[in-house]
Amino acid sequence: MVLELQKPRPVWQIMFSTHHTDVGYLYTVTSLAFLFMAGVLAMIIRTHLFFPGEGVLISDSVTSNRIFTVHGSTMLFLFALPFAAGIGNYLVPIMVRYKDMAYPKLNAVAFWMVPVGGALVWLGFSDTTWVAYAPYSIIRAPGPAADMWIFGMKILGISSILSSINFIVTILKCKHPDLPLRRVPLFAWSMLTVSLMTVVAMPTFAAALVMMLTDRLGVSGFFNPAMGGDPIAYLHLFWFTFHPEVYIFLLPAIGMMYEIIPRFSRKPLFSQGSGVFAFVMLGLIGFASWGHHMFSTGMDFTTKTVFMIGTLAAVPASGMHVFNFLATMWGARIRFDAPMKFMVGGIALFFSAGAGGVLNTAMPLDFITHGTYWVVGHMHLFLTGTIAFGFVGMMYYIFPLFTGRMYSEKWASVQFILMMWGTVQVFFTQHILGLEGMARRIYDYPTDFTSWTQLNQIATVGAWILGASFVIFLAQLIYYSAKGKEANMVDPFNLGGKYYYPYQAKTPHHTGY
Amino acid sequence: MSHTEHDAPILRTSPRRMAKMLIIIIGIQVVGGVLFFSHYDFWNSYLPIAGRPVVHNEPGNGPGPVTGKTVNVSLKFVESPDFKTYAFNALSGSDQNPEIHANVGDKIVFDVTNAGKSFHAFAVTDSKEGPGPAIEGTTIGSADNPMKPGAKGTATFVPAKAGEYYYICAVPGHRELGMEGKIEVSEASSAGAASGATVAPTGNKVEFSLSFVMSADFKDYAFNALAGQTGHNPDIKVKSGDTVTIHIKNSSKSFHSFGVVTDPEDPNSVVWNSAFKSADNPMKPGESGDVTFVAGAPGSYHYICTVPGHADLGMNGNFIVE
Repeated sequence: MVLELQKPRPVWQIMFSTHHTDVGYLYTVTSLAFLFMAGVLAMIIRTHLFFPGEGVLISDSVTSNRIFTVHGSTMLFLFALPFAAGIGNYLVPIMVRYKDMAYPKLNAVAFWMVPVGGALVWLGFSDTTWVAYAPYSIIRAPGPAADMWIFGMKILGISSILSSINFIVTILKCKHPDLPLRRVPLFAWSMLTVSLMTVVAMPTFAAALVMMLTDRLGVSGFFNPAMGGDPIAYLHLFWFTFHPEVYIFLLPAIGMMYEIIPRFSRKPLFSQGSGVFAFVMLGLIGFASWGHHMFSTGMDFTTKTVFMIGTLAAVPASGMHVFNFLATMWGARIRFDAPMKFMVGGIALFFSAGAGGVLNTAMPLDFITHGTYWVVGHMHLFLTGTIAFGFVGMMYYIFPLFTGRMYSEKWASVQFILMMWGTVQVFFTQHILGLEGMARRIYDYPTDFTSWTQLNQIATVGAWILGASFVIFLAQLIYYSAKGKEANMVDPFNLGGKYYYPYQAKTPHHTGY
Repeated sequence: MSHTEHDAPILRTSPRRMAKMLIIIIGIQVVGGVLFFSHYDFWNSYLPIAGRPVVHNEPGNGPGPVTGKTVNVSLKFVESPDFKTYAFNALSGSDQNPEIHANVGDKIVFDVTNAGKSFHAFAVTDSKEGPGPAIEGTTIGSADNPMKPGAKGTATFVPAKAGEYYYICAVPGHRELGMEGKIEVSEASSAGAASGATVAPTGNKVEFSLSFVMSADFKDYAFNALAGQTGHNPDIKVKSGDTVTIHIKNSSKSFHSFGVVTDPEDPNSVVWNSAFKSADNPMKPGESGDVTFVAGAPGSYHYICTVPGHADLGMNGNFIVE
């Protein structure tokens, strides 16, 4: 599936290729496979919660813990990160006008660590939850599952650092000399930002994983209270990596919106400069807000205030992106093909998720919402509503480049409607459930709480709708890859001759200046 | 370099290639699934080292004096029909939650059956209330993964310290409903010696007579009288320090030898030089003789035929030192 070749090559040639489009293809296919596997787990969890007290599908609490642990770990590390890396592999070298990634073999190595890490996570099926808080993960989480999770995360962390180094070098050092950095398309800018963030943030988690492992072995006691350690220290190390990681998940989706919205608006981007500025801002601010995950751990008032302001500082930068999109679409002749639908839906849900986030970081409210389904709803609204919408839209957008074929616009619209509907129904409802006091990671709840039962059942029906939309997505990907109509490779979306398809884009025409 | 050559449609995927890709992905998932489910219990099988109880500080199983004596206890989980009373063995009466007496270092083997209709889990704990924490190695099932109705299991508890222990149902709430029995563990003797230890003679002398008997079909073995007859395997009770003389006669048609042991399943656990003859050089039919020894530390012992297998066939009586 490499660009230069006209004839299909044997599958093994693609699997062991180091060309950026091949590696990008492998990343994307792997991440989609993990998306659907983790999606099945989500359906099991939601269906189980539809029937309180009956033990449907999940018969004990440990199994329930294991299922949502693997669901979370997979969606974040085996879907969101590899998918962004896959699309980045495809588009970044084209956008900076280089023949390949800077280090093609390193690129392939980084990819091949993903299935290995994935296998460790899935075979062990640990029950630590994806955050693996001490002391549970240190003194109680059964092995070898938890140890396999630690090693799996370790491998995935190394993989993401390697691919980040590759993106940084490709963008900064290998871009065409005629292309100034400020004119590099914004999707490549988003990959540059998240790669720099990964290189800064990930080593902390890598260290925390080693500390956790030695703590489990009883050699050290960093987080083990029985040995004088501090479990809160783990939270700091973890969230120092994973609050920035939230932006690492998010920014590629925003970058994809920058790629797609101007094309389908058939109008130049409103402001390249403000997009670059907002990416850099979010990249910096991402490191100033990790403490808001720990407001309820007895943090002193001054520290909490600093982290609250640090978190709120993300609002103007996120707002710059949203206004940039709106200004681009303003007065444009927009074509609402599937990619554009998902991007517009993603912006709307990004706004609502962001509004929930602002409430979350307000200290007094944080104490009410902490550890409840509110947080589950908030985080999923971001991850599904913005990130998955961006990724699914991008998948439709890049589908002709992957396959040389077109998807079905009709089925894509059905998927969009179901996905939008399902996302709102399941995750908005979860916010309310949180305010009603339902704790997150709950295995079962009493039937006496009628409103919990009702809201859970509403949320579960929403989840089924969301699941149905992804079944349609999967069926489309398979069917139209095999039998779809041949795409017009010059202008597959009929946007007009001016906007070239990425594989030809020598100088992307939609950038500002 | 121009890209115009790509303007012709390039079909990079075809049904055949899509099928190949699906076979690869689904194949990996199937292999992974088989690996995962075939080892389902393995993946979550042990506690991290940091979370294991520190054995020598805990009263539970672990390095401590071992007497070699075994106490067999069989227990059943039972429930009242209205599920309001839970207990072991019987809902009321003397069988309900039998109290167990043992010495430090004794091996208490629990043979547990869930004879109830709901889920239970067996554990021994030194905590006076609540569902645990269980002493390591004494659990059968857990609250997360309980014993289903009809399930059976065994657990072993070797107390390392004297004190009160409890055998309970580890499912939260069941102990409070009555599934709780006491285990009294006492030091092996006042001097703290393990059971089986020798003590200085007090000068008090006692005498007993025993004879080896066997059924005509060689299937039942016993002392003095066959099972079901009066005088079968009589209990011998002596005081610690007594000088005991036993007149032994082989009234059977096979070879035997005598000894007082801590563990009837181990003919080598003979204590206090109480052996008369041995499996290598046994008493012939009709032979008789005396053995004299000083009864040691208080406890519950067994006199047996030390020819391997004979104790199992019935040549096994209680020898109690008070």
